[in-house]
Amino acid sequence: MAGRWQLYDTPEMLAAVSTAVAGGQREVLLAVDGVHCGACVRGVERRLAGRASKVRVDLASRTVEFGFDPVAQPLSGLIEILEQAGYRPQVLAQDQALLAAQQERRAALARIGIAVICAMQVMMLAWPEYFDAGEIEPGVVALLHWSQWLLATPAVFYSGWPILAAGWRSLRDGSLGMDVPIAASILIAYGASAWHTLSGSGALYFDAATMFVMLLGAGRYLEGRSRAQAGERLRLLAGRRALTAVRIEQEEPRTVSISALRLGDRVRVAPGEALPADGELLDAVADLDESLLSGESRPLRRQPGATVLAGSINVGIQALDLRVRSEASASRLAAITRLLQEAQRYKPPAQLLADRIARHFVLAVLLLAGLALAWWWPRDPGQALEVLLAVLVVSCPCALSLAIPAVYAAAASRLAAGGVLLVRPAALARVPELSQVLFDKTGTLTLPDLQLGQVQPLGALSGEDALAIAAALEQNLQHPIARALVRAAGRIDPATEVELAAEGGVRGQVAGRRYWLGPPEHLGLDRARQPALADEASTWVALAVEGEPLALFGLSARLRPEAAATVAALQRDGLGLRLLSGDSEATVSHLARKLHINQAFWRQTPEQKLAQQRQLQADGFVVMAVGDGINDAPLLAAADIGVAMPGGAALAQARADLILVGDSLDGLLLLRAVAVKAALRVRQNLAWALLYNLVMLPLALSGQLTPWLAALGMSLSSLLVVSNALRVGPGRQPSIAAQQPAALAT
Amino acid sequence: MEILYLLIPLGVVLVAFAGAALVWALHSGQYDGLDQQSRRMPDDEP
Repeated sequence: MAGRWQLYDTPEMLAAVSTAVAGGQREVLLAVDGVHCGACVRGVERRLAGRASKVRVDLASRTVEFGFDPVAQPLSGLIEILEQAGYRPQVLAQDQALLAAQQERRAALARIGIAVICAMQVMMLAWPEYFDAGEIEPGVVALLHWSQWLLATPAVFYSGWPILAAGWRSLRDGSLGMDVPIAASILIAYGASAWHTLSGSGALYFDAATMFVMLLGAGRYLEGRSRAQAGERLRLLAGRRALTAVRIEQEEPRTVSISALRLGDRVRVAPGEALPADGELLDAVADLDESLLSGESRPLRRQPGATVLAGSINVGIQALDLRVRSEASASRLAAITRLLQEAQRYKPPAQLLADRIARHFVLAVLLLAGLALAWWWPRDPGQALEVLLAVLVVSCPCALSLAIPAVYAAAASRLAAGGVLLVRPAALARVPELSQVLFDKTGTLTLPDLQLGQVQPLGALSGEDALAIAAALEQNLQHPIARALVRAAGRIDPATEVELAAEGGVRGQVAGRRYWLGPPEHLGLDRARQPALADEASTWVALAVEGEPLALFGLSARLRPEAAATVAALQRDGLGLRLLSGDSEATVSHLARKLHINQAFWRQTPEQKLAQQRQLQADGFVVMAVGDGINDAPLLAAADIGVAMPGGAALAQARADLILVGDSLDGLLLLRAVAVKAALRVRQNLAWALLYNLVMLPLALSGQLTPWLAALGMSLSSLLVVSNALRVGPGRQPSIAAQQPAALAT
Repeated sequence: MEILYLLIPLGVVLVAFAGAALVWALHSGQYDGLDQQSRRMPDDEP
């Protein structure tokens, strides 16, 4: 048993499954499938107390994250503690997590199946006696009783085992989880029935006990599935982190741990495998499935030189080579995974309240059940038992404790499928009240890359030839202007002695002549001499040979294809929109006119943007800021809802509430639709759960409710809450369908 | 009604068979990935 986890103490595996934090400590995220209720959460926290720091257990995704000192407390020992306590820990970042999920699913289905078969049969055997007026032979009655006992036993102790175990765990830890009254009622019903079978007198409740187990099992399975949908993405993301990579060393492939990868290494990825690091695609085009990162489910074709991301799957037919451009722990996948982990362990304040209510509720129910028993017992012992069972069963606060997390889990999963990553779920609650949206320009409303718009030949050289020379000079630069010129060039002439010019721009030798490329002002070109330069919406560069201007290149940012539709839809929704940009008046007002945004502000410093936002907030507006996360970090952090466009490593510093990982503004519309629905569902669920208990408890106390009816009511109530929560968004995949024409248009 | 003394135990035995069949089917993977079947056809398209 012990050896199973020791692998994780080796430095290499430790690096793969945990991250270093200050003071030699490391942080790790584990799946704990055995955690079912608030009592288990406290159980885990108590067991790790003193051994690990910053223990955060998340009930919704069944994960625990904690910091530990790898020297003083080996990871394997901590995992073992959790395992021995029955919480079934799993180290993420392995496919084992997915395998275990499958095993768990099979076991759950087997439990439900056995419970259904046994419950039906017990019900059938119990039925004759409900209508018996004394004509059934005593021998047959005894046979019916014993058969029910025989059939109820596997249902209670095999199918109901998770419930009984959770109840016991919660009782042992001295905290009252909702499994305590449930387990108690199952055991009381089973024990009383067994006693009555042996003594040959008294009513049997085998039918109620088995049906309770069956409905509860089915309810939890369905509830677990909706949680699993949200947790699955995290597990997939974490699990897809490749742990090894094939590095090409002197033309020889060699398998190394990803922690050994360095910037500039050449890595080969076989078809079907995940990319180990962010990098630049070499040599050939490749088809990549980036669905884990962006939610986009179709494979994307990437050209040589394109940036490819760790966690994408090579779905082409050939192995691909890439040049490592970031270390594994700095990849976009790692950044998003960390953010998701942060999101998953976050508990909305409303949920904490519901947990607290549930805890007091359980205590109240146990007291009430005791009082009911005391009141009924002297009058009618048989009825007293029935009332006790009905009260215990009907008041199970399952629905109450599911009301909020089920909605948030479903909303997060729906958003993730549409390319929106919910980092701080609390922001979701504010979206329906939204009244002002602030947009950044570059990288937000426009694509981050520039595009060559105009070529103006000034001398004898044709535009095409001039571009070939310009591209030659810029070929090895990473500047946005350089990338745009190289991308646009039909051919690239060979250039030598390329260097950055002291006065600005670049210099180099092409076909024996010395060329220069840089800002047109350096050549004395201005608006008066060159009318083209009046177009301030573009950035201009000039090509010259020995001081003689040859051509002008106008580069402009392209509008995102979906920007106009999104802006129009938000305006129709009655939201005030503002465009805040550090760019020049011409560029900004041009864009604002194109998008019909009335309030545009140019030459804004980050401080001015922030001041404007603070003013809006002071005036009572709920403000959403949409930016690219790098220069807009303060704006996003201070906004009521900060939305970041995905931007590589900078994402890690972005203090955004949401990330549009689909790299499309469509996500804003989805977000709005889902958030409005989610708020409605939370209110409906809470109202239902409270109403249900208020109505049913008096019925149970007064003896109007039989135990099996109570079991049915409780389970249907939970199912209602969960299925209501699942209806948080528009149909399954509308945003991806909507993205397709836009994607084609780019 | 002596036949009941045979039929009731027989019912219990049949239930045992049904349960065993279900467990076998589950562990041979017949209930795995039920959701995927509905997506299989579109996935096959290029």
